[in-house]
Amino acid sequence: MFLSLTRDEKALVQRQLGRKVTPLEWSIIDAEWSEHCSYKSSKSLLKELPTKGARVLLGPGFDAGVLDVGDGYVVTIHVESHNHPSAIDPYGGAATGVGGVLRDILSIGSRPIALLDPLRFGDVTKSGHSRWLMKNVIRGIAEYGNCVGIPTVGGEIEFDSSFESNCLVDVACVGLGQADTLVYSQNGRPGDQLMLVGGSTGRDGIRGATFASRNLTGNEKDRAAVQVPDPFTEKLIIEATLEAKEAGALRAMKDLGGGGLACAVPEAVSSGNCGADIDLSLVHVRESDLIAEEVMASESQERMLYVVDPKRTRHVEQILQRYGLPYSTIGHVIKQKVIKVRKSEKLLANLPVDLVVQAPLLQRRSLKPKSRRVQLDPPRSPTNMGEIVLQLLASPSIASKSWVYGQYDHEVGVRTILKPGAADASVLRLPNGKFLALTCDGNSKHCSISPGLGAEGSLAEACRNLACVGALPIGMVDHLQFGDPGDHEVFWSFQQTVRGLSRYCRAIDLPCVGGKVSFYNEDSDTKIAIKPSPVVVVVGLIDNKAPKLFGFGLKEVGDALIIVGSTAPELGGSEYYEQIHGFSGGKVPKVDLRNERKRIENIVKIYREPGIKSVHDCSKGGLIVTLAEMCIEGGLGASVEAEQIPAKTRQIDELLFSESHGRFILEVNRKMVKKIMKSLEDQGLPVACIGQVDDGSHLRLKYGGKTLVDLSVPEMKQRWAEAIPRLMGDIV
Amino acid sequence: MASSDYLIDVVIEGKPGARDPEGEVIQRDLIWKNGFESVKSVRVAKLLKIVIQAKSAKEAKMIVQRLCDELRIFNPAAHSVHVALGKSQD
Repeated sequence: MFLSLTRDEKALVQRQLGRKVTPLEWSIIDAEWSEHCSYKSSKSLLKELPTKGARVLLGPGFDAGVLDVGDGYVVTIHVESHNHPSAIDPYGGAATGVGGVLRDILSIGSRPIALLDPLRFGDVTKSGHSRWLMKNVIRGIAEYGNCVGIPTVGGEIEFDSSFESNCLVDVACVGLGQADTLVYSQNGRPGDQLMLVGGSTGRDGIRGATFASRNLTGNEKDRAAVQVPDPFTEKLIIEATLEAKEAGALRAMKDLGGGGLACAVPEAVSSGNCGADIDLSLVHVRESDLIAEEVMASESQERMLYVVDPKRTRHVEQILQRYGLPYSTIGHVIKQKVIKVRKSEKLLANLPVDLVVQAPLLQRRSLKPKSRRVQLDPPRSPTNMGEIVLQLLASPSIASKSWVYGQYDHEVGVRTILKPGAADASVLRLPNGKFLALTCDGNSKHCSISPGLGAEGSLAEACRNLACVGALPIGMVDHLQFGDPGDHEVFWSFQQTVRGLSRYCRAIDLPCVGGKVSFYNEDSDTKIAIKPSPVVVVVGLIDNKAPKLFGFGLKEVGDALIIVGSTAPELGGSEYYEQIHGFSGGKVPKVDLRNERKRIENIVKIYREPGIKSVHDCSKGGLIVTLAEMCIEGGLGASVEAEQIPAKTRQIDELLFSESHGRFILEVNRKMVKKIMKSLEDQGLPVACIGQVDDGSHLRLKYGGKTLVDLSVPEMKQRWAEAIPRLMGDIV
Repeated sequence: MASSDYLIDVVIEGKPGARDPEGEVIQRDLIWKNGFESVKSVRVAKLLKIVIQAKSAKEAKMIVQRLCDELRIFNPAAHSVHVALGKSQD
């Protein structure tokens, strides 16, 4: 039997049990002690993240984080990835990834209401393989989300050759529930029945969790770990589970994900300080010749484990029968804190719960890479600014993603108010009349040069996105994706990332309510780790029953354009360096942590003021790309004087393309300009009027008396809109 | 040797042991519900009927097998493919 346990771990198990360990016991421990389930390399560092806050009802360590949004309602949030399965079967891998995160949200007793998908692929301009991955990953996400009737309201994509064979497919899900009817896993008690609900158990996806905890290889054995998505069964599970929960019959529940029953059973009972006694011969299986280890470790999709009040089992069975869902009662909760697994009469495993769920933590070494100290000469500033702007607009990371989100149903459920593409964050209506804003961000280019600053920056961008729709950030989850944690340099970047996130969270009082770590992401051929890829998903609340909501498109000719924030010479990791100069290196943008909270709060406040027509944050591509996006979305032109931009540089490429944080462009009614500028100045924020909205349908930028950029809006729009369809072969 | 047309059947189906939600629904909600309880299993597959000019049946099968592999007409991670000579098309 293949075990991914280390020699020390095996010895520890032997010592603790003081007897011969059965094959089934080994496979249970192997699954639960995998990096994927136990966080053995990351746990001690993750403790540095702040997790408390006035709205936090449940923080990290559970199926989902829970945030109080008032009037008895809660929002739940979780993020997962399905990187390795998607790398070999992009359609099925991505689709089952969506299914998995939906069940996490369901496990806590909340209804999934929205999905977001942060994705990373190789260089699609050069690689047919990456285009194949991208096309099928997006199709998988779309078909699963659309079939279960949950809108995919946002996402984010990066392209970098380090993701060529190890694409990153993250899925975040947001749920809605009521504080007093959530289902907490500690509520199970002795005598409760354990019911396995949903799809039958088969050989698919066996050892997926340990598979995710190793590097990708072309091994044929790995190729058996493919799961077939079944969104229609998932939809039935969602409805049946919520109905059983409403009936008060579920004491606890757990979705079956990585590690299958081997992880779900101990986790469902451990927090209630109980044990479990299950009989594998009762599990409904697809193939009759499955051995015990296979039944226990199978990661067949669309399954849930219910912990049912024994007086209510009949009721639950009736609900499941009505939905036509297969189920089997496989055992019960016991007082003794052990996991007993039988097959008919034969006892195959008898393990202390604490041993199973408390994997020994690993102390990983971190080492700052030497290469980072090398200073490269930055490329020289070019002269053809207009053409460069067009090239940036057509670069896949900046170009319109409507080819992607156009495949997603982002409106099903009729909660979506601001839709993808129209604003920096999507906005959903909540039943209490408030509004929820959602966004996700990551920047592997910045992180590869400076993981700490890049991590801070990803959070800063996400929070700016929320501020741009008038929402205050209330909680975040992070997904931290790295190479092999045994590599000291990889682990250093992980450590720096966690610290960066932590610094930002503390600076603006943003709690981390959950997250996920995915290690062993590296190129299968070159064995080079992916660029450090923390991705953050942040939710914001618009605590106002009747807000005006608007996107970033320019609205009216004659309005003033105001910039908030200062531009610094920070081109390191920028799209401009990468796309135009093929250069990676330089100074990565640094967040002004001291003023960040004030800045976000003020933009949220300003958003509500009369006379504010649009707000857009400056990020990828820099200031000029921000302006171009506002022109394209609004179908109007603008003229801008670059001299007016508050900046710590006078070099034109730095002014236009620096991705400095903390900057916003506001479109403001002429009559209100003075008042708005004064209120921002009074807060000590750099602010300047840099131009106005034009009817000429051109974006014009002057610097030193010369017109450096003069681009027609329709031309910019065409380059920006057609880039991805062209790459994917839809426009020839 | 003269070339002639051969009909080659290409069957693409889920790997053994993989779930087949479509087949399960047909079995459970159509067949079983309507009284055909003796049906033990239903698997849905895709059948490609390819007519190809070749010198022999063996060569025809070989070319089709090669095009399946090279063009990724199936995903080797998720599917199995079976290439066989179909009924003659003379």
